[in-house]
Amino acid sequence: MLAVSPLRSTTDGEQGEMESFSIGEDFADLSEGNLLESIDFDDLFMGINGDGDVLPDLEMDPEMLAEFSLSEESEIVSSVSVANNTSDNSNGNNTVTTEKQDEVIVTNFSSDSGSNSGSSGEEIASKNNESTHSVAVNPSPKESEKGRKSSTHSRNNPQGKRKVKVDWTPELHRRFVQAVEQLGVDKAVPSRILEIMGIDCLTRHNIASHLQKYRSHRKHLLAREAEAARWSQRKQFMGAASVGRGGGGAKREVNPWLAPTMGFPPMTPMHHFRPLHVWGHHTMDQSFVHMWPKHLPYTPSPAAWPPRTAPPPPPPDPLYWHQHQRAPDAPTPGTPCFPQPLTTTRFGSQTVPGIPPHHAMYQILDPGIGIPATQPPPRPLLDSHPSKESIDAAISDVLSKPWLPLPLGLKAPALDGVMGELQRQGIPKIPPSCA
Amino acid sequence: MEDSPSASYIHQVHRLIEECILFNMNQEECMEALSRHANIKPIITSTVWKELEKENKEFFDAYSRIQAEGGSKTVSRQKILDMNENYLTILFPCLTFHE
Repeated sequence: MLAVSPLRSTTDGEQGEMESFSIGEDFADLSEGNLLESIDFDDLFMGINGDGDVLPDLEMDPEMLAEFSLSEESEIVSSVSVANNTSDNSNGNNTVTTEKQDEVIVTNFSSDSGSNSGSSGEEIASKNNESTHSVAVNPSPKESEKGRKSSTHSRNNPQGKRKVKVDWTPELHRRFVQAVEQLGVDKAVPSRILEIMGIDCLTRHNIASHLQKYRSHRKHLLAREAEAARWSQRKQFMGAASVGRGGGGAKREVNPWLAPTMGFPPMTPMHHFRPLHVWGHHTMDQSFVHMWPKHLPYTPSPAAWPPRTAPPPPPPDPLYWHQHQRAPDAPTPGTPCFPQPLTTTRFGSQTVPGIPPHHAMYQILDPGIGIPATQPPPRPLLDSHPSKESIDAAISDVLSKPWLPLPLGLKAPALDGVMGELQRQGIPKIPPSCA
Repeated sequence: MEDSPSASYIHQVHRLIEECILFNMNQEECMEALSRHANIKPIITSTVWKELEKENKEFFDAYSRIQAEGGSKTVSRQKILDMNENYLTILFPCLTFHE
């Protein structure tokens, strides 16, 4: 590289300049006058200092400094020196600019003292001394300061980035969640979380970004679960409905897509079906992988997570985000499930004109049902006692529209159990002939 | 095997019970309501209720908690729906992370 040449110049700064000048011959292909214009100083120093100053401020980021290998820096220096030398031959100007260059050089190279360029740095330093002496004083404290930082960074972080990448292992995350839960999710402040976790290599920034993701994930998760729960409702309903309607319901055919009277739109999370059908069993893990396509760091290794095929996952791993899930009053999940019963009712009611009373019922009971509020207020809609009218309306609605979905989607009772018990109670068959 | 009139009847009672639950009723209240409004024998209601409990133990656990805390009648329908959606995460927090 061109860069190396000026550094090889041993003692004579001017010689170095001459060397760079000779290097500049490459640039001299362009007309000399245009060289300055052709060199965009902003670009040259873009990596150093983005504000477009021709020469970087000494207070620049140590990581940036560390990024600058000898060759890079030399490149810039040589280019600049070339430009300066070409454009303005007056000593004064050269001196000034060179001085600043040397400051840069000194600063950077000294900070990379651990690298091979150490010797070259000294050479440049000597060059610096020759040209001006004022430079020696100024950058030195900054040099040392940056030297410390830069060397540290170049050791630990070859990329030279400011933020150390945190590997959120399950254990680490667990501690994080503990801390968050301890503080309260909404009140959890990164600095406090950090205190509680007591891990040195975590910065407040790491915590803050992780916290943000955690909160967002929780919301998504609960929304998904609500959706999935609705799906299981559909499924159960369809199964039961086919039994009730079809008459030959030896087997339950769950086929929501072909639901005759149910017009609900095909919902994408069909894969939630099976998992949530059985309360208490959890096989939702595969479906939720898709939720975090971009959060790769949070899906460390596939081995860490429960195998997709096993229904009950190993306890520690899936505890990632929601180990300490809050109480049932989580505001967000209520929302998606809200309109569902009503929506399906609407669809269903297309075939039966008896809409108003049903809607009235819902409106009486739950005016907020159609409101996509993120925080459904805990309305004591029933006041002190559910009104007889509303109960009556609800009940008659159920009786008149057997195709309606189950609002809660509970698993249906075992028919055998029911029938057996009833027979024991002296009711041989239902519906009973006498009420 | 399934007697369809019985099955559909039981299904209907099931549905009615769910509605009652959304009214935050307990078993007795439900029996009374269905008897009054739907002419369903209380014994049938209670039998179906018990069977529902067996099949949905977790739900009824969570539901009874709501009933215990809720000064009963002021528990909103929405709260119960919420609980229905969420009790899994309450009772089984380990189930909520899937990655």
